[in-house]
Amino acid sequence: MKIIYTDVLIIGGGLAGLRVATGVKQRGHAAVILTLVPPKRSHSAAAQGGMQASLANSKMGEGDNEDVHFSDTIKGSDWGADQKVARMFVHTAPKAIRELAAWGVPWSRVKKGSRTAIINAQKVTITEKDEAHGLITARDFGGTKKWRTCYTSDGTGHSMLYAMDNKAHQDKVEIHERLEAMSLITDEGRCYGAVARNLMTGELVAYISKATTIATGGYGRIYSVSTNAIICQGTGQALALETGIATLGNMEAIQFHPTAIVPVGILTTEGCRGDGGLLLDKDGYRFMPDYEPDKKELASRDVVSRRMTEHIRKGKGVKSRYGDHLWLDITILGRAHIEKNLREVKEICENFLGIDPAVDWIPVRPTQHYSMGGIRTKYTGESQTLKGLYSCGEAACWDLHGFNRLGGNSVSETVVSGMLVAEYISDFCDSYDSSIHIHSSKIEIALKKEKDKLETLLTNKHGEDAYVLRRRMEEIMMDKVGIFRNGKDLQEAVDELEELYKRSKNIEVFRSKSRAANPALVNAYRTQKMLKIALTVALGALLRTESRGAHSREDFPERDDENWLNRTITSWPNEGQTMPSVSYEKIEIDTMELPPGFRGYGKDLTKHHPDTKVRQEKVDAITEKLQAEGANRFEIQHALMPYLKKLPKKYRGTNERLGENV
Amino acid sequence: MSEIVKGRILKINILRFDPNEPKILPHMETFEIEEAYGMTLYIVLNMIREHHDNSLMFDFVCRAGICGSCSMLVNGRPTLACRTLTSKLDENISLAPLPLFKLIKDLSIYTGEWMRYLNEHLETWIHDQEQELNVDKLEERMDPDLADEIYELDRCVECGCCVAGCGTIQMRPNFKGAVGLNKVARYHLDPRDKRTDEEYYELVGDDDGVFGCMTLLGCEDVCPKDLPLQSKIAYLRRMMIKTAIKN
Amino acid sequence: MRKKIDKMPAILDFLQSATGLVLALFIMGHILFEASILISNEMMYKVTLMFEGYYFFGERYPGIISFLAAAIFVIFIVHAGIAMRKFPASYKQYKTITKHTMRMKHEDSSLWAIQVITGFMMFFIGSVHLYIMMSQPSNIGPFASSSRVVDEFMGPLYFMLLLSVISHAFIGLYRLALKWGFMEGKNTEVSRGRFKFLMKAMIVAYIVIGLSSLAKYTYIGVTHDFSDGVRYKSETIKIGEHK
Ligand SMILES: Cc1cc2nc3c(=O)[nH]c(=O)nc-3n(C[C@H](O)[C@H](O)[C@H](O)COP(=O)(O)OP(=O)(O)OC[C@H]3O[C@@H](n4cnc5c(N)ncnc54)[C@H](O)[C@@H]3O)c2cc1C
Ligand code: HEM
Ligand code: HEM
Ligand code: SF4
Ligand code: F3S
Ligand code: FES
Repeated sequence: MKIIYTDVLIIGGGLAGLRVATGVKQRGHAAVILTLVPPKRSHSAAAQGGMQASLANSKMGEGDNEDVHFSDTIKGSDWGADQKVARMFVHTAPKAIRELAAWGVPWSRVKKGSRTAIINAQKVTITEKDEAHGLITARDFGGTKKWRTCYTSDGTGHSMLYAMDNKAHQDKVEIHERLEAMSLITDEGRCYGAVARNLMTGELVAYISKATTIATGGYGRIYSVSTNAIICQGTGQALALETGIATLGNMEAIQFHPTAIVPVGILTTEGCRGDGGLLLDKDGYRFMPDYEPDKKELASRDVVSRRMTEHIRKGKGVKSRYGDHLWLDITILGRAHIEKNLREVKEICENFLGIDPAVDWIPVRPTQHYSMGGIRTKYTGESQTLKGLYSCGEAACWDLHGFNRLGGNSVSETVVSGMLVAEYISDFCDSYDSSIHIHSSKIEIALKKEKDKLETLLTNKHGEDAYVLRRRMEEIMMDKVGIFRNGKDLQEAVDELEELYKRSKNIEVFRSKSRAANPALVNAYRTQKMLKIALTVALGALLRTESRGAHSREDFPERDDENWLNRTITSWPNEGQTMPSVSYEKIEIDTMELPPGFRGYGKDLTKHHPDTKVRQEKVDAITEKLQAEGANRFEIQHALMPYLKKLPKKYRGTNERLGENV
Repeated sequence: MSEIVKGRILKINILRFDPNEPKILPHMETFEIEEAYGMTLYIVLNMIREHHDNSLMFDFVCRAGICGSCSMLVNGRPTLACRTLTSKLDENISLAPLPLFKLIKDLSIYTGEWMRYLNEHLETWIHDQEQELNVDKLEERMDPDLADEIYELDRCVECGCCVAGCGTIQMRPNFKGAVGLNKVARYHLDPRDKRTDEEYYELVGDDDGVFGCMTLLGCEDVCPKDLPLQSKIAYLRRMMIKTAIKN
Repeated sequence: MRKKIDKMPAILDFLQSATGLVLALFIMGHILFEASILISNEMMYKVTLMFEGYYFFGERYPGIISFLAAAIFVIFIVHAGIAMRKFPASYKQYKTITKHTMRMKHEDSSLWAIQVITGFMMFFIGSVHLYIMMSQPSNIGPFASSSRVVDEFMGPLYFMLLLSVISHAFIGLYRLALKWGFMEGKNTEVSRGRFKFLMKAMIVAYIVIGLSSLAKYTYIGVTHDFSDGVRYKSETIKIGEHK
């Protein structure tokens, strides 16, 4: 029996996990990272677009600050976000980016003078200030008032992840690669680490720690097509769920991106449509104007995704071996434009489709992209119900994104939450509270349990084929818990998923019986976990009879603040149950800085809560009064919703900006 | 605009071996797959695993050509499998794991450990003598073109193709390879890294470093990210000679 | 305080390139001078005289050639000595690199293999040739050389030496340019392409010239009988009258 003791166990070596590790390490605590793949291969590397932080250096970002970032984020979330968390986030984001700059990320910089850019297919001249020269620049991203998305060319996530991993090397963080966390070790309401399996040798190891952090990213792979890496399977959320104590939040909140290529689901940037690309159906007909006469192809992400799906459902999709799709036509932009401004799209087309987008149409369809839901935590990143268990990054729901996240807010979240959570964890580890009281027999039991599970899978007779179950689950999720949802489909989905879940208890690993490196075995136990996660998503979606953010019910098109301004909380308290337990957590309006309003797309279908009006009046009154007294924006903000005390001391400082506080 | 057409029958020859079961010697195994439009080796290998042999081991993570996990020898040349279209190959395709790296099983290799060792050895992080960073302050300025230039070198995905494509390192495993030299060039270029030329010389000024490179250019020609490896190794070589002269 | 760095690797690497460069330049000249036989026997004779210092001192000093040959020999040995570090050091390494090169089917890796093989060949043939030049410096000239080519059976050796030295030298120069980033320009792919083309063109040109000269020497050797020790007699230059 192999047991490894450490102060902080971190499951997941993406941006979030790595930042937690360096953070606790700098506070003097030992840290071990477990990861399925070398940290630099984590999915964080895929983020190309950028990271939001209100630096306001570039011309088009002028006037940006925490307040603007805050309101964009809350609107984006369709008021599902936790506003205090959002405040903490927007305040820390500039610090995070500056820290990364010092750690080596080669952020693209402002170049003084004029240049031409294309905005909404129009040529525009932008003149950058001299004094901003050499500071970090930003680009435009959907749903933001200012240009706020900082980037390194077309490889933001990659550069960030590499800088972070190198920093972890420097700080001598222990990283155990190709180790998969299989279950958490809990005792009397407290989490003490995890049982992990070495994916190369099959060895089971128990990691015992004061604090355990899950930073395993999203769960997009429960869908058949996803832009996510294939390791984004939600096993982290499943770990928490399977403790029976920890809870998950808003699992049904899933974001779709309109234009991922078929079959592999790789993202093509929104810039294609931004610059004038068109969506065509199987007859080469441009259908978007029929649905959205105003914005056409340029309606927001979720809207375009929904319209495309509608059109495919009408039988207008192009048939292919990999399912139906539509065409994205950018040939009209001309070769010169494509080779200069859409280089990355061109490369994807060449490498993955073998086509030339200057001549050929690109096969696309809406594809799962981001998981807003995750392990429900307090603002400190600690599980609301299981002491000693922390979570951050895409894996968590501390709840920054509510029901829809803004592009660029996600990598930003991973780093910011990593910074903050590392401090809270360190505080916990410094306290007397954190000492470990678990009997070694309990550890042995935990190990044995995992061992038995694996043995069962390998020795089962006449069992189920994991691939069959998994493929069916993916299809159900795609077809019935997809972009458009309705009661009938969701009910069918839940029923069938439950059936699949029951069958999954009897999975047999055929032929491939190795106890060491064995992909079939891995697929078997992950399928079991994924089915649980799929159930939480489907059930959450079925029960939520409203449309909010990315959760869009055809049978309930309006946002219903009166009944549904809350978070879905799922748990799995009893191992024997075949369906998760669901409860709800109210989102309080009377402490909001930005009371619920209209998000600004399409018609306002919101059913408002009576409290909203009350709170709005109060907010307006306070603001007016303080403004009259000559208070600055920080004082007004503080009066509306104080949050600064919640931040670790070292991150409370006011951010410098050109023309502000410098 | 393609439609469903009857595809070729691909013969996929895979070099198989499981170090955990050394009694079964390395051997080639052939699988037949019907080709379809837009098929990549990622799709092929998954089909094999799902429908022919579920024990076949390989690594994909992003399946989008960005994470560097899926490097293998395709018809003898190292490349990223996920972005290799079968339509660009002939019917007989041979796949083998990259040499030099530790073999996990079949096509799966342990590049992570190798790269980590390299990074630790070359200390591929910013060396800065300054004390605490004040994150509230404006960031340090950097020339925009220099930032782009650093990014160009930062794009390495540690896939190991350049290592597998370099005859020198095959013969002399202590050689740092193009991946290592490129990293050193990247930090050398970066004004935030305060290491002196002499310190850099200590790192790569020997036959395991830049003077070990025999300009075989395999690295440059197989690098899936098209990094300017030859040019950067030349740059480093000149720097090292300068440093030697200076001393 | 500066740490003392070990400069040896830098020096060796630099020397390897520098000696290679000198040798390559030398060979480029050598083959051309020698090809003077293609113009006429007289021309070749004049070139020989020139190297013997006749035009400077008014007298023939074959010792100069000896000296030159010795100098080249030294550079040759130094170069070979340094470059041999790059040879596969064991059978295992040899197997590895051969397997690698076969598998990769990669032009530049194969070019290196050619350099190693040709270098190895020259080590023997080149030494013999240089030794002869050093020890019998006066035996150079349109007739003497032809005699050596035919009667002393140097012909086949020269043929092999020619092929190896030309490919070795120009491949070497090509790699030298890339190794040090010589004139690489913004787009290294383009500059590399140019260098490679130049390399191939030069190899062809030089081999054609060298083979032609060799053919001429052979022709002279076959059509003349030098067994009586006949020397070439110039019609225009009478040794001793020049003063
Ligand atoms: C194509 C694409 C483009 C994107 N672009 C942007 C963008 O431009 N801007 C933006 O802000 N966001 C973007 N995102 C979202 C963003 O990239 C992710 O949300 C973010 O990187 C998640 O980081 P993370 O650290 O939480 O998790 P990840 O980076 O996914 O890391 C998860 C880690 O957990 C490990 N792990 C998982 N399960 C286990 C287990 N059971 N045991 C042990 N280890 C485990 C994995 O090995 C991995 O190291 C994009 C996402 C996609 C799919
Ligand atoms: C005994 C004879 C010789 C041997 C064994 C030999 C061997 C080698 C080898 C192995 C290399 C490759 C070094 C490397 O990869 O870094 C090399 C490079 C080179 N050789 Fe030679 N060589 C010999 C003679 C010559 C001659 C006669 C010339 C000139 C005509 C020459 C010109 C060059 C050049 C220009 C290079 C490139 C230099 C470099 O890479 O630094 N060599 N030689
Ligand atoms: C200073 C030194 C050298 C002198 C004086 C010299 C001189 C000559 C002469 C006179 C010949 C004509 C044939 C003969 O007389 O035998 C010849 C031929 C030749 N030499 Fe040299 N040589 C020298 C060095 C070298 C070196 C270093 C090499 C290559 C390694 C070389 C390669 C050749 C070849 C290939 C030929 C045959 C040419 C042909 O095919 O036309 N020589 N050399
Ligand atoms: S330099 Fe290129 S080939 Fe080498 S590891 Fe990096 S990306 Fe791969
Ligand atoms: S292939 Fe190897 S020898 Fe040098 S040029 Fe590249 S590192
Ligand atoms: S799987 Fe990531 S590069 Fe191929």
